[in-house]
Amino acid sequence: MAVEDGRFISLVGPSGSGKSSLLRAVIGLQQPLSGTVETGLARADVGILFQDDALLPWKRARDNVALGLVFNGFNRKTALAQAEDWLDRLGLAGFGDRFPRQLSGGQRKRVALAQVLAMKPKLLLMDEPFASLDAIVRARVVKDLVALVERERISVLLVTHDLEEAISLSDEIYLLSQGPRARIIQHYEIPIPRPRDPVHSRTHPAFAALYEKLWADLSREVDHRAEAA
Amino acid sequence: MHDGRWYDWARQTWLRQLLAFVILLAIWEALGRAGMLNPLFLPTPSRIGAALFDLFSDGRIWPHLEATFTAALGGLALGIVVGIVLGVAAALVPFFAELLEPVMTVLNAVPRVILAPLFVIWLGIGLASKIALSFILVAVLIFFTVFTGIRQVDRRIVERVITLGGNRWALVRHVYLPSVTAWILSNLKIAVGFAFTGALVGEFVAATHGLGYLLSFAQSTYNAALMFAIIVVILAVVLLIFAVTGRLEKYLLRWN
Repeated sequence: MAVEDGRFISLVGPSGSGKSSLLRAVIGLQQPLSGTVETGLARADVGILFQDDALLPWKRARDNVALGLVFNGFNRKTALAQAEDWLDRLGLAGFGDRFPRQLSGGQRKRVALAQVLAMKPKLLLMDEPFASLDAIVRARVVKDLVALVERERISVLLVTHDLEEAISLSDEIYLLSQGPRARIIQHYEIPIPRPRDPVHSRTHPAFAALYEKLWADLSREVDHRAEAA
Repeated sequence: MHDGRWYDWARQTWLRQLLAFVILLAIWEALGRAGMLNPLFLPTPSRIGAALFDLFSDGRIWPHLEATFTAALGGLALGIVVGIVLGVAAALVPFFAELLEPVMTVLNAVPRVILAPLFVIWLGIGLASKIALSFILVAVLIFFTVFTGIRQVDRRIVERVITLGGNRWALVRHVYLPSVTAWILSNLKIAVGFAFTGALVGEFVAATHGLGYLLSFAQSTYNAALMFAIIVVILAVVLLIFAVTGRLEKYLLRWN
């Protein structure tokens, strides 16, 4: 499996197929059981976003966003200025002073996103990052994210359970089998052109057929394992 | 009669509480003056007030206040520092955890004031034995606060800092330190209470100064009015410190 520059790639598969472990291995939070991960990138060029992202509760939004920059040698003033800039871009102008507790779930997610994007990652890993958001907020955050990713040509590896999300956002999708010893069982190319609007991509002629195929393949995998067990 | 002002005034909780307290005192005073309370056991509020006034007017309360304050705050500061150091050591180095946890668990389980007589033998009837008692009460509390606290730090926050490129020092500074501060602050009132308990009990056992000593003196002379006066002083002191720590807590934990 390979991620080419600027490609948006999704991983789908049954629970326990090791999708999250794969992301964690890419960023070095855990060792792969077998095989190797090669990014050819410095650590600071890889960003990760989890579903239950934890901001530092004792830091204001702008300090949270500036954190990675400070760790990577920027002086505090520059880092804070850039942090404000990223908050602006993600629609959080004027919220820099707030503590995470004072933000809504969607706003916190945007802060976490700003925190990662401020590092100008070349590869962005996301583990069901929007699962905890309600549909409207989710659609808005996703839309902003897609626009940014397309403009900055960031490669993305997204883990998701949401097949529609996978199709509407990705250039390629990998389907993983059930664990243990999960492997890749399918690879799909998504022909929807860019730039994309994540909502409108769902009305693209290829969408329905892809969705049905993906659904069928995934169901077969789940059923297959259920019988084996 | 029922004009708005009176109504608003009576709606304030603290005013109602104050009113109730004053009424209670008035009943107490009236019963005492009517000769229904034995002044040997329960002197009237006015006599307690007079004893309180005497304590301050002739200035003899000050050395005692100073002694108790020094012992309590000294024990508190030492206890917090040592509690943090041992707690951090035990949380980060398994060897120290093996060594410290059983000792601390035993010390936590027994009422630590039983050590008071021992400290008097070891350290004499001066300030040192009071600081020691106050210290041991606080240190064990802070040890467990820090020890369990560090082990319960949110993994997600730790991973967040690591994936953003934070090193060990960044983790200590941006994650562990603020967390530990939060836990200690939320236990600070209990620690202050413990510190004063240690100082007062120590003075009660054997001393030449301090509010605890004064209290035991009042007991030996059957001076109930003096006893109540000292209790009022101690209450005032502890409430004052609670107010200060409450402010500090509110400021430092404003994110919470």
